[in-house]
Amino acid sequence: MATTTAAVTLTSDLLSDNMSVSASTTCMKAGTTADGLDMMEYGYVDIASGTAYDIIGNTPTANKATKLYIKNHSTDETYYISIVLDAQAVGRLYGGDWMFIPTDFHDANADVEITATGGTNKICYALFHEGTTLVAS
Amino acid sequence: MATTTATITLDSADLLTNVLSFSTTASLTKAGTSTGLAETTGLARTNFTNDPVQSKVIFRSDDATNNGANKVYLKNLSTSATQFFTVYIDEEEMGRLYAGDWAFFPWTATGGTKETFIVTIANTWAAGDTWTFDGITTTAANSTVANIATQINNQYYPNWTTTVSTAAITFTARHSMDAGTVVTATADGATVTAGDGDAVISSSALGVATESDIIVVPSVVTTMDLEHMLIKE
Repeated sequence: MATTTAAVTLTSDLLSDNMSVSASTTCMKAGTTADGLDMMEYGYVDIASGTAYDIIGNTPTANKATKLYIKNHSTDETYYISIVLDAQAVGRLYGGDWMFIPTDFHDANADVEITATGGTNKICYALFHEGTTLVAS
Repeated sequence: MATTTATITLDSADLLTNVLSFSTTASLTKAGTSTGLAETTGLARTNFTNDPVQSKVIFRSDDATNNGANKVYLKNLSTSATQFFTVYIDEEEMGRLYAGDWAFFPWTATGGTKETFIVTIANTWAAGDTWTFDGITTTAANSTVANIATQINNQYYPNWTTTVSTAAITFTARHSMDAGTVVTATADGATVTAGDGDAVISSSALGVATESDIIVVPSVVTTMDLEHMLIKE
């Protein structure tokens, strides 16, 4: 099986004592410790401002332990991409920000939609999944 | 200025034919600026043990800046591989957080509208008269309406915050929620007065529910724990 680990470390001096939070997970298939996520889609794209795009064009299998990583590589701090799930706003990923979320493509509308603001945003993304339905040609 | 950083490392020796390894660090700043995020809820842990399974609101949109560069961290502390939390933003499912999995994402925190109303203390009041609202009773210390209004304003209400201007107290709901067709009316407050004192409620405005609360639902009724933190503007 493939073994992929995702680790996060959050550090801050926001509080009176230093804060450091770390977490690491091995990206497993849904409901198992025996088999890791073994498929991946990766991209690095320029997103022109103004138009909404589905960042994942095909349809990963629903109700799985799919993980999505997105980073906004824009260096202008005023640039951002809006992340939307099925018309529900999630958040804004400003230049330099990244996100790592579980995603469940539970129906035809549950796409991850991004819209760039400020100018052309450079986006890197990686999807770790258990299978996908490719778009027929 | 506070400095908060978030680092992710993704590694795999065998997913691809070559080693996959990358790491990136973001300095968490306020929207569109280089100024660091200044507030956090701190790290917290919430237990879910309910039969039947019940959802919980982990973060309310009201508590963060709308369209801010807020960041949410979630981790499923379960050790049983089959146990997962389903993460929702308002009513939209984001995905399943299986045992040991974590998530970190930006949060728009789209707010709603908090219900408001104004109550005006008027006419003849006497010391000992009372006004009761939201389970809180205020007993007039004297007959001056402005003083009584100040007394009412100084109370702590479970579901409302207040401000006062002369004899008028503005009540604002602590949380945005749909109030339907119901507006707070004079009858919702109970006045007991020896004279003709009244507390007329006016300028009621309906509330509208928030649209992006962070809600999680456990997959089982047995004990599950979620670790969570919000870093916000």
